[in-house]
Amino acid sequence: MSNDFEPNIIGFLCNWCSYAGADLAGTSRTHYLPNVKIIRVMCSGRVNPLFIVNALQQGADGVLISGCHPGDCHYLEGNYFARRRFVLMHKLLEHVGVDPRRVQMSWVSASEGAKFKDVVEKIVSDVKEAGPMDQFRRRQLNW
Amino acid sequence: MGDYKILKEKVPDFIKALDKFEVFAPVKKGDTVRFEKIDDPSRATLDFSNTNVPPKELMFPETETLFRYRVVSTEIEPKVPSDEEKRVVLGIRPCDAMAFSIVDRLFGWDFPDPYYQKRRENSILVGLACAEPCSNCFCTSLGGGPANEEPLDAILYDLGEFYYLKTITDKSEAFVSSAGDALESAGDSERAQATELAGSAEKKIKRTIKTEGIPEKLPSLYDHEFWTQYSNRCLGCGICTFLCPTCHCFDIQDEIEAFDGRRARMWDTCMFAEYTLHASGHNPRPTRKERTRNRISHKYSYFPTKFGVIACVGCGRCINFCPVNIDIIDVLQKSKEV
Amino acid sequence: MVDENVLRDKAKEILSSGEVRRLIGWKRGTYGYEAAPCVITDASQADDLIFDATCVQNPASFITLEEKLPVPRGQQPDTRKIAVMVKGCDSRAVVQHLVEKAYIRDDVVILGIPCRGVIDRRKAEKIFGEAPQPVLAVAEKDGVVIRVNGEEKKVSREEILADKCLRCRYPNPVISDYPLGDEVEKWADDDFSDVSEFEKESPEEKWAFWEEEFSKCIRCYACRNVCPMCYCVECIVTKLKPQWTRRSTDLSENTVYHIQRAWHLAGRCIECMECQRVCPMDIPIMTLNRKLTKDVKELFDYEPGVDAEAQPLLASYNPQDPEEYIM
Repeated sequence: MSNDFEPNIIGFLCNWCSYAGADLAGTSRTHYLPNVKIIRVMCSGRVNPLFIVNALQQGADGVLISGCHPGDCHYLEGNYFARRRFVLMHKLLEHVGVDPRRVQMSWVSASEGAKFKDVVEKIVSDVKEAGPMDQFRRRQLNW
Repeated sequence: MGDYKILKEKVPDFIKALDKFEVFAPVKKGDTVRFEKIDDPSRATLDFSNTNVPPKELMFPETETLFRYRVVSTEIEPKVPSDEEKRVVLGIRPCDAMAFSIVDRLFGWDFPDPYYQKRRENSILVGLACAEPCSNCFCTSLGGGPANEEPLDAILYDLGEFYYLKTITDKSEAFVSSAGDALESAGDSERAQATELAGSAEKKIKRTIKTEGIPEKLPSLYDHEFWTQYSNRCLGCGICTFLCPTCHCFDIQDEIEAFDGRRARMWDTCMFAEYTLHASGHNPRPTRKERTRNRISHKYSYFPTKFGVIACVGCGRCINFCPVNIDIIDVLQKSKEV
Repeated sequence: MVDENVLRDKAKEILSSGEVRRLIGWKRGTYGYEAAPCVITDASQADDLIFDATCVQNPASFITLEEKLPVPRGQQPDTRKIAVMVKGCDSRAVVQHLVEKAYIRDDVVILGIPCRGVIDRRKAEKIFGEAPQPVLAVAEKDGVVIRVNGEEKKVSREEILADKCLRCRYPNPVISDYPLGDEVEKWADDDFSDVSEFEKESPEEKWAFWEEEFSKCIRCYACRNVCPMCYCVECIVTKLKPQWTRRSTDLSENTVYHIQRAWHLAGRCIECMECQRVCPMDIPIMTLNRKLTKDVKELFDYEPGVDAEAQPLLASYNPQDPEEYIM
């Protein structure tokens, strides 16, 4: 893959922990890569795993889901549900042939601005290696 | 018209010689056979009972763009096929070919459909007579047969070592002249063999239905209980209609990617509830009983009333592929009895 | 195996008692290697019922396929039960329905039939060719006796039984009100070797395989409609707002459709393999479902359709769930 490929990554961050963590990274003037486009959701349990598929179809090269650490969920158990769903969807996508590095999940709390930066760096470098997502992106071929 | 023969090993050369045309022919993938555009002549096969998907998809594709537009302007870019895209379709079974002459009436009716008609005009249809009909073929009951020529431009007969090619219309001359060396001339003996082949194939067709009276009888069964026998076990899937060579219903949807959009049409089927669902939420065909009834009645009653011909060619696909053993011959037979 | 007379008598008894509104079973088809599922409402039709190795369909699908129109004012809805004949695999669908509270236990009367396997139409056609007449087949311990086109033959089980039967873990119904016939011995096990084999391939190889398979799909939705677990009133693939997947058939939309379908069966698929059987384009749909079944078993030690008291997999959690993939 050429090095100038800048991946487009969609990040679904939970309102209470990860979004606040990303905010902390910003307010503490930590520089993190701009490839992750953040969508704030109320809870990682809100993320229907089909959001991942839909994002990949619409042009994302990778998807990051991030929520509170297990046990810390604002809604007590949302991230436990998210964890089960994510693991299965991750396996399913892998079986279809999607590079497993494209889809990742992390636990980032509101105080972990530095961890958020690391998570973003990891997924960006992983997706850079995986290259552009061109398997089932909606193309305009037959238009 | 002309009589020719093609040695079986020369078929790839024959396809290669047709480089002025886009060639479509059946391609085998595992156990499924489907028409595809042929870039590599060795992929084409003429050794199959029938294709899973009928060649209607070549004139009326599963999904096709009607026109494109940009959200910010009022211009549209129509996507009607041009005159230049001349095509040869090789290996159409006579039943599927007959379906074209039925569907032609619909697409040439009150609003002529330029997409379908243009592709039909541009295509040279080369049939392939059946030697071994499938167990559920009943084409002879509907005016067809293993070597029915309407509306083919030419027809091939598999005579063992070689194919006998009989040209039928003037249109086929264009492709015969470009085929060159691959074709040899044939004479009376090949023609006699071909007639014999068609005759013996016709005798192998076991299933029949007498269609007299069915178009008149079906409307009187509109509220009859007998439909529930079938609809109770119908899954409401689209196999019978999508794979039917004469089914021609479509849906039109707009698809937008950022500022670019297209209006596309895609196959639709009366077996889906969404097909008749109104915006209000009302559905005039609320259950599978009405939908099953509509499928059969449309083919065997509404269409003949309007166009004078039954919209079924007896290819047997809806029987072969039905997951729950619904048998259109059985349905029609019962409809005559009740 | 079950004596068909016992089956018919039981059906008559249940239907004439007036406690059920319909009975779902199988009857002889009019052609080919497969029987026809049937829905009967009257004891007089019970003589059509059969059970043999051609009864491939899953009658549990037809419980939820029943369409209920709004009842006219002044009339009461028919709240009588539904009776259903089930093989081992089919019974798991009923259990899973109960887990998901698609209906309650009192709504169904289950006639459980031990089964020695059903035949695969595709395999049979390769051996015997097409069958214009309905075929009779009896699965026995050491082979399948099959009557095609007037001739009786015996073939080995491996040659003709459906793949699901060759790795069947539940030949006897896991739930039933009226067990009919003697229980049969379990003869096989499932090691998911086909899935593990495919897992070893690289993402490129996997995608090359699926690209070819998914591009064949004509989106007739037979796999969805036949699935006993697909009983949503409104399916995500036909929703327009939001439109999760477009109706147009191309590689992108087909892939997404198949991922959606498989995903919605995660931890719910009971492996009756109906989806793969009905596919007119021979897409190996079960490969996706079996992957999920294997993972669900390995990761969460969960098996759908076995215990009617269980919690649905994705509506429950365990704080100790594995999280090796999570940063």
